[in-house]
Amino acid sequence: MDAILAAAGLVFDPFVLWVILAASAFGIFVGAMPGLTATMATALLVPVTFFMPPVPALGAIVAATAMAIFAGDIPAALLRIPGTPASAAYTDESYAMSKKGELDLNLGVNLVFSVIGGLAGVLILVLCAPALAEVAIHFSSFEYFWLALLGLTCAVFIATEQPLKGFASLLFGLAINCIGIDPAAGFPRFTFGSVELLQGISFIPAMIGMFAVSEILRGVIAVDEGGAVLVQKIGNIFVGVWDVWKRYWKNFIRGSAIGVLIGALPGAGADIAAWISYAVSKKFSKEPEKFGTGHIEGIVDATSANNSALGGAWIPALVFGIPGDSITAIVIGVLYMKGMNPGPTVFLQNPQFIYAVFIIFILANLLMLPLGWAAIKSGKQILRVPRNLLLPIILIFCVVGSYAMTNSVYGIIMMLVMGVIGWIMEEHGFPIAPAILGLVLGEMLEQNFMTSMIKSDGAFLTFFERPIAGTLGALTLLVWGAMLWRGWTARPAAVAAPPT
Amino acid sequence: MRANDAIAGLVLIVLSLAMIALTLSFPDFPGQKYGPALFPRILGVGLIGCGILLVHNGLVARRAGAAWVEVAPWVHEPWRLGSFLLVLAMLLLYIVASETIGFIPIALVFLGGLFLWLGVRPVTAVATALATTIAIHWFFGSMLRVPLPRGLLTNLL
Repeated sequence: MDAILAAAGLVFDPFVLWVILAASAFGIFVGAMPGLTATMATALLVPVTFFMPPVPALGAIVAATAMAIFAGDIPAALLRIPGTPASAAYTDESYAMSKKGELDLNLGVNLVFSVIGGLAGVLILVLCAPALAEVAIHFSSFEYFWLALLGLTCAVFIATEQPLKGFASLLFGLAINCIGIDPAAGFPRFTFGSVELLQGISFIPAMIGMFAVSEILRGVIAVDEGGAVLVQKIGNIFVGVWDVWKRYWKNFIRGSAIGVLIGALPGAGADIAAWISYAVSKKFSKEPEKFGTGHIEGIVDATSANNSALGGAWIPALVFGIPGDSITAIVIGVLYMKGMNPGPTVFLQNPQFIYAVFIIFILANLLMLPLGWAAIKSGKQILRVPRNLLLPIILIFCVVGSYAMTNSVYGIIMMLVMGVIGWIMEEHGFPIAPAILGLVLGEMLEQNFMTSMIKSDGAFLTFFERPIAGTLGALTLLVWGAMLWRGWTARPAAVAAPPT
Repeated sequence: MRANDAIAGLVLIVLSLAMIALTLSFPDFPGQKYGPALFPRILGVGLIGCGILLVHNGLVARRAGAAWVEVAPWVHEPWRLGSFLLVLAMLLLYIVASETIGFIPIALVFLGGLFLWLGVRPVTAVATALATTIAIHWFFGSMLRVPLPRGLLTNLL
């Protein structure tokens, strides 16, 4: 109880509240601008939050991402362009509703179900995380090794369309994480005599490069290609939402549950949650033929799911230090920089900090209702901001942000190199998220692997001797086996398919 | 611009071999048969495996008629290609020149140049470049105390 009061004291501080409000407005803007994603909002926020204490720093990230995921629904309905990838699953459906004259209802449902979906995600986070932490406190290096490996495995196989390229991306992330002093023996690896590389790849500039600069490179070559904003007056968006709730509240529960689950799986975040819940909704609907024609049912599922996934992703991030999506991957990087190593010990030593995250989450989702309403009302103005002004401004912000992380041009060089690599990877169908996950989890994976090797004197079977470690290990191998089997049996079909 | 998977795979294999070659000089833990080289070597082997599969997929696609290198349509449009290259050039310019010239002048060139190339009207471009530079300098330089390079303006600021 003391911890909760202490947490409330941390959150309800004028500065923290101001940061949350500012970050929310920023998140809404970034989310509503097509081409700027929630992950990018986080990446851009990090250099700013770097100079803050942990609670406002996390508050800014939580608030901005929650808003961005909702705000992505606005251009989907107005322009048929998703504001963030998390809205892509139901963009066509939303636009079809707008064309039918149901724009108000669509935006109202998106807003309200984003809010309650987000709250559902927080509820599960609050219920599950402390309980899981009690279990996790007994984990040794063996369990953490398997957990990290299982997490990375899920990230590759569940979250990517082409597991082979996802796997290559992951290994690449792990490999560049090897640059610098190795975590077990303190030996400098792959530094080529550079003092800067001794500390390893500078995580924040690398991430700004991969998520923001590569996006800008894609953006400038299509800077003049925007959709035409639907000319329609936006009225009272809350009319009819209650009827939708009465009719589809089961869809809301199912969507939120799927969202939390997918969010908690490492590597898969809000966008995949939306796709899966939309597909599930269609499959179990009584009127699947209406899907795609401007039908609200699938939107209820998917818009709840992508916001609840945000909360779900924080479960493994806080409890094990394993990120549930690319946003929490960045958060974990931030926590390490602030000297707060995520994991079960935080729940014991700094519970007020965990509760503060919970409170911020609830606050941010409640704040979404008025701010989201305002964003919908001014949606057309937001979408009128010219991209040829916006992209250079974001780019200079990236440059200064990366510089601020190292106080030298080394940060900018890192950003540029990783930005170009990220761009090349995406052009060739290699997903970026696994590489970032590898970069974040690499040290944890290697450290636990080497520690376990030393403990077991090099005998690999010892990795299976403890009950939980053995189960996790078997599970990991099982996933590997299943995926290899699937790859093997699906091979002829994959070869027959035309190259994309 | 998109190269065939076989090329991507080949690049991966070469890079991984180079990485493994570099690990040969790493020392082992005292009294153990492994050391800091073990983990990168495992990764290298995995990457080579991926590379081989990619080469295989690429060759299969090639036999089915895919090109070695597919050039995206925007590369043939000078303005779009220019936008892409200008972003990279501006970043390089910033890296090379910011310490000597200073943040304020280089940011004005950086923003102004990109704005004008991307088709912003000159008056708007200059005004926005100025406003953005001042805002960023105030926020990062004064509020967050990031030591932005002063360069030519050392005596003025």
